[in-house]
Amino acid sequence: MKDLLGFLIRRLGWMAITLWAVYTVSFVLMRAAPGSPFSAERAMPPAIEQQMRARYNLDAPPLQQYWDYMWGILSRGDLSWSIKLEDYSVNQVIAEGFPVSASLAIFALVFAIILGVSAGVISAVYRGTVADVAMMATAVLGIAIPNFVLASIAILLFVFLIPLFPAAGWGTLRQVALPAICLGLPVAAYIARLTRAGMLESLSREHVRTAFAKGLPKRTVIIKHVLPGALLPVVSYLGPATAGVLTGSLVLEKIFALPGMGSHFIYAATQRDTTLATGMVLTYTVLLFVMNTIVDLAYAVIDPRVELE
Amino acid sequence: MPLELRRAFLILAAIVVMVSLIWASRFDEMPPAEFSFQNGTDPKTLDPHRATGQPESRILFNIFTGLLEELPEGDPDPETGVQPMTPQPGIAESYEVSPDNMTYTFQLRDDVTWSDGVPITSADFVWSWTRMLHPETACEYNFQLFGVQNAEAYATGEVKPGDKVEVELWDRPGETIDSEPAPQTFPRGTIVHGTLKALDKPPKPNVPEDATKEEKSKATADWQSEWLYTVDLARRDGDEILWDDVTKTVTYTKNLQTPLAKEDTQRAHNVLVAFDQLGGVEAPDPTTLIVHLRDPLPYFPYLTAYYPLFPVPRHCIEEHGKPMWTRPENIVTCGPYKIGLRKLRDRVRLVKDERWYDADTVEIESIDALSIESQNTALNMYETGELDWVTDPPVTLIEELKKREDYHAAPYLSVYYYELNTKRPPLDDVRVRKALSMAINREQIVREVTKAGQQPAFALVPPGIAGYTPAQGNRGSLEEAKRLLTEAGYPGGRGFPKFTILYNTSESHRAIAEVIQQQWQNNLNIKADLQNMEWGSFLDKRQQQKYDISRAAWNADYPDPNTFLDLFLSKSPQNNTAWKNPRYDELLSQAASESDKVKRMELLREAEAIWADELPAIPIYYYVGLNIIKPNVSGLLPTPQDTHPFQTIRLEPTP
Repeated sequence: MKDLLGFLIRRLGWMAITLWAVYTVSFVLMRAAPGSPFSAERAMPPAIEQQMRARYNLDAPPLQQYWDYMWGILSRGDLSWSIKLEDYSVNQVIAEGFPVSASLAIFALVFAIILGVSAGVISAVYRGTVADVAMMATAVLGIAIPNFVLASIAILLFVFLIPLFPAAGWGTLRQVALPAICLGLPVAAYIARLTRAGMLESLSREHVRTAFAKGLPKRTVIIKHVLPGALLPVVSYLGPATAGVLTGSLVLEKIFALPGMGSHFIYAATQRDTTLATGMVLTYTVLLFVMNTIVDLAYAVIDPRVELE
Repeated sequence: MPLELRRAFLILAAIVVMVSLIWASRFDEMPPAEFSFQNGTDPKTLDPHRATGQPESRILFNIFTGLLEELPEGDPDPETGVQPMTPQPGIAESYEVSPDNMTYTFQLRDDVTWSDGVPITSADFVWSWTRMLHPETACEYNFQLFGVQNAEAYATGEVKPGDKVEVELWDRPGETIDSEPAPQTFPRGTIVHGTLKALDKPPKPNVPEDATKEEKSKATADWQSEWLYTVDLARRDGDEILWDDVTKTVTYTKNLQTPLAKEDTQRAHNVLVAFDQLGGVEAPDPTTLIVHLRDPLPYFPYLTAYYPLFPVPRHCIEEHGKPMWTRPENIVTCGPYKIGLRKLRDRVRLVKDERWYDADTVEIESIDALSIESQNTALNMYETGELDWVTDPPVTLIEELKKREDYHAAPYLSVYYYELNTKRPPLDDVRVRKALSMAINREQIVREVTKAGQQPAFALVPPGIAGYTPAQGNRGSLEEAKRLLTEAGYPGGRGFPKFTILYNTSESHRAIAEVIQQQWQNNLNIKADLQNMEWGSFLDKRQQQKYDISRAAWNADYPDPNTFLDLFLSKSPQNNTAWKNPRYDELLSQAASESDKVKRMELLREAEAIWADELPAIPIYYYVGLNIIKPNVSGLLPTPQDTHPFQTIRLEPTP
């Protein structure tokens, strides 16, 4: 229990340092980029632009801005107002977008794990059969095809040829299905390959052979003795997979017109919305850090040989 | 790690997955709206004084109403299908114009209220226009009111001794005398009135030549904050200000640290020309609004029907402040629709407002403005019946879509052109500019690249403005182009310096630039580079005039040639070409003060002819508005400015 607590505290410390570094780098980059958040086709008189800058504290010396903004986040959790989405604060933007991105990611990951693990187990158990070859070939394709191509094909198939799902939008389970599948399929393909490799390795272990020799039913052996070992690489892959699902949704959000966080990310950067961009970068950093920590924890739990450090 | 803990962790993990799955599959399903359309990017704001783009305007036109409303009048043009729109009674049930076109008297309906039931009076307009013009509102469209007396001086903050001014003291809610300025401009601090006696300025700071734009504007703003205003305060008698009855003389400054400050100098936000007290707009009684113009603008009625001049709810803004007043739970509106729901990046739902004065004529109960940026996604949703109106169909499919019954293409007042930096040789030579323009085959561009029926452009003002015949422009010929280039010293394109065409990243802009690059190469033997930039950097380059040739476009802000022509005034902030022509400037200012409509249009046409002859920019084509509309929808016709009042839309039941 003690080492668990120590581990969490250490991780928290690292996260703070990483966040600070990310904040600093994005602060510098945002200010170094050409163009201003207030540039518009209809040019603004300098006095008015100056007032707008003052409103967002962009007229202070850079170092002052750096501290003020950081202090706002630390003391009040306030990421300030979005410069371009004038009616919203960055906190509100995240509060509206995060649940959408999160539920999409949850569906995609659960789908990917169920499909990937089942396919991996089946093809390992029936190694060398037509089913195995077919599934692994599909998995290779699934990894190779980017998800926006997948999305176009899926729309063509399941929206127009067989009208099962709506074309786009957010708000019902049916609307989540297609984007979640498109987002999850490449991950599922990767998981399937990892599971299969892990299964094959575990199947050749001696304790497995012993279990078979004892006369245990095949199903019991696979579920109790083979699978836990085989899933270790899958668990460690879940960290990067979460990252992939969260960032991979940027494109899908556009294709399926989903009101998630991803589109704000790109939009904020191209529109020089400094506050929103910083808020987004920090949010993603926290998300990825937390997910990786959970994965490391899970890894230690499943495999007693792993030490938390 | 002990075994029990491990087991507990596994169970916990399973529970977490289950709970998150259940959480993720919970949706507040809402019934679909009766009518839904593609609104492009998410609206930035619902504040009429802060909005600029089309997604915002589609909503604002329908949740607020102006003095007048632009509504269809007469039959669509038989050739183009464009429905003429004219300003018709809105909140004002009628208006009168004085014979010299300088005074408008609006008679307001006596039964109009805000969506919360508070009556709308003429004082609301005075307040709204003051807010719109106020420098700290930073309304990009404030120039639309500059035709009203004192409006321009108020908005730009220009004052000179002798002006009758208002002084806003440093006591806005939450402010102390040495605090930072309060972020809320309204409600304002105490306003006192008087006559400006003297304006003292400290010496202008020396800003190094190579300072950035930001440093320069900061230095100017800092300097201005140190100005010292000496004001003879006027006595107030009820609502009336007795300007000649001086009670005392006080000095004001924004920055008390200024070296000019005296012992009793007071701190004030702004010293501005007293716009609302000098008769530019008057509200003699709650239902009468009198507007005195500086210039006899014939298009003033159109401006009152455009959203920046719409009234905004003072009570709501002063209670919630900016930007909180635009939250769906706070916003108070005055249009046929009100905001039912607003989800970022998803939709704005408009719900019919039963309190609106003409609610009986509004047929559709609920409308969804969906934030869909992707052209293909919108078309997909239209095809599967989730959308009724596509406002931005995929350009790549135009040829297919053209054949369909529900595809509507019609010209609107918008022009696509290439700005030329006339400071940079050889583009400073008008012969070169002409040669470049003549060597472009515009027919090829509209036929093979844009494909949607755009019209080749040879001058600046698009056709379709009532009473105006656009200048012809000079089509020229290839031979003439070659001759002009030779005259300019580049026979056969020899010795012509390499230059760059700048455009903002977009498939269609690139395609057009490539064709023009090719045509110049083939026709004149001139080499051009292409450079694309994303929007922010692109605007920066253009406005700092660090470009050779740049793609540009302009939509009419009001249906009058002036909206295009004043872009190229020598003092216009939009003029990125460095082109200056005193005769052109003079013609436009003559036109502004000309009250005879026919003569005015003549002057404008003469100015356009000068433009088309000097070519500070190369016009390429006039846009067409493209819409795909379900066949059961009527009352949604192409209009000159691509605006569409939703109260005229009718739905026939689908079989």
